[in-house]
Amino acid sequence: MTNLQIPLRELQRDMQRHLLGEESEVTAAIVDAPPLGAADRLGIYRNAYQVRLIDALHETYPVLHGLLGDEAWVELGQAYVAAHPSVFRSIRWYGRELADFVAGCYSDAPILSEVAQLEWTLSEVFDATDAPSLRRAELSAVEPSAWGFLTFRFHPSLRRLTLCWNTAAVWKAMSADETPPGPELAAAPIHWLLWRQNLQNYFRSMNAPESAALDLAQRGCNFAQICAGLSALLPQEEIPAAAASLLGAWADSGIIIGLGSSDADASQ
Amino acid sequence: MNEPHAIDWLEVITENYLVPGGKALHYLERIRERFPLVMHGVSLSIGSTDPIDFDYLRMVRGLAARIEPHWISDHLCWTGVEGRNLHDLLPLPYTEEALASVVGRVGQVQEALGRQILLENVSSYLSFHADEMSEWEFLREVASRADCHILLDINNIYVSSVNHGFDPVKYLQAVPKSRVRQFHLAGHSDMGGHLIDTHDHPIVEPVWDLYRQALTIFGDVPTMIERDDNIPELSELVAELDVARDLAARHSRQAA
Repeated sequence: MTNLQIPLRELQRDMQRHLLGEESEVTAAIVDAPPLGAADRLGIYRNAYQVRLIDALHETYPVLHGLLGDEAWVELGQAYVAAHPSVFRSIRWYGRELADFVAGCYSDAPILSEVAQLEWTLSEVFDATDAPSLRRAELSAVEPSAWGFLTFRFHPSLRRLTLCWNTAAVWKAMSADETPPGPELAAAPIHWLLWRQNLQNYFRSMNAPESAALDLAQRGCNFAQICAGLSALLPQEEIPAAAASLLGAWADSGIIIGLGSSDADASQ
Repeated sequence: MNEPHAIDWLEVITENYLVPGGKALHYLERIRERFPLVMHGVSLSIGSTDPIDFDYLRMVRGLAARIEPHWISDHLCWTGVEGRNLHDLLPLPYTEEALASVVGRVGQVQEALGRQILLENVSSYLSFHADEMSEWEFLREVASRADCHILLDINNIYVSSVNHGFDPVKYLQAVPKSRVRQFHLAGHSDMGGHLIDTHDHPIVEPVWDLYRQALTIFGDVPTMIERDDNIPELSELVAELDVARDLAARHSRQAA
């Protein structure tokens, strides 16, 4: 009965420690009466905490769960939950560090961490801020003399990933309930573009010139600077057409949301 | 949902829509064009001893401005301390200290949201030696001292009554009639001796009985059936809703 005097703050800290599996004396503060003893009563909450967070991880990482199978998934979930108490109001954000965590647990299967990275990034694309895309006609309406100075603003859902394994192929097969291919290391790291258009998530790979051009465009370089940046990757005579076709593809994907103008020296 | 009158209004979980954009918010706005909505939160943590999270309240207020809910509710519980969220509805000790703390916080929350809130009684699986009053006295005092409304969950009263061995009708009778703005009904899981509020089963007969009693005491209050898992065909859910409607209509005829 000495527990009668525990201040509310102390009681809550003690109970939270218990639910997180840490040292705690809260059991003595809990009524021990039928139909359940105090430890069992606390156990309901302790168990529910773990189950709920592992369920939340599954919502974001269904493919990783499928690849691991139930047993290894629950083991991973329990370890992650123990290492990462939630600090989020909305459970949707729980699991942000899972890719890094998986890289540590499964250093012999690095594709698993990439799968987690892909799934987390797709979840960000899914509910990123909305913005109306630029229409292709708005791009066509730009005066030829203004093209060199043109800069671009991109959709808030746009994300980029560099993946070393056949992660996307595995993700696609698993998402379609098909048998995934075995892990394969790509000859060179592959750049991926992920975005949302008309409420739908998309991703595709980019070649080196596109990736370089997007780097420059996202940094605020104008069209002339982007073309200059491509000169190391493409024959000079191909650059204007290649750059124009990239812009057209970006506009068609809806990832450009606005145009600007910058007269920074194009030779820089 | 295209059938006319199958559903009168909908309750949405606030936190599911506290995201920057995308599909969930898009469809929420489409739904709002056709149905009245109320917002039901799960992480206000009104009973916590951590500082109030005003960033969270700003987001809730922003969502409310966007979808204009008829009211905003959350739970009479705490969800974590020291910046952590256990994502559960944890019971409070029913003490004067906890009461004073909750009353003060409800005042701050109502001011930040610019409106009165509804607080819901939770299902609980434990209670504290420190309790100085019953849950229903605590709920009544919070509502009257903080001047907020009550979302009375009939299933939660029943679940807690079995888990703690109290008389659920006594609970109902102690709740101030003028404060109750909404009822929740739901199914639970019978663990053989104790009950768990899982929202994945049909409503059981004792809860329907308690609902009948609640109608007698509180009159025809807007009623919402919670179902989060093991979800059957919509027609089955609407049939359950029709039982509730029928009971409420019968009550109104008797009262008339």
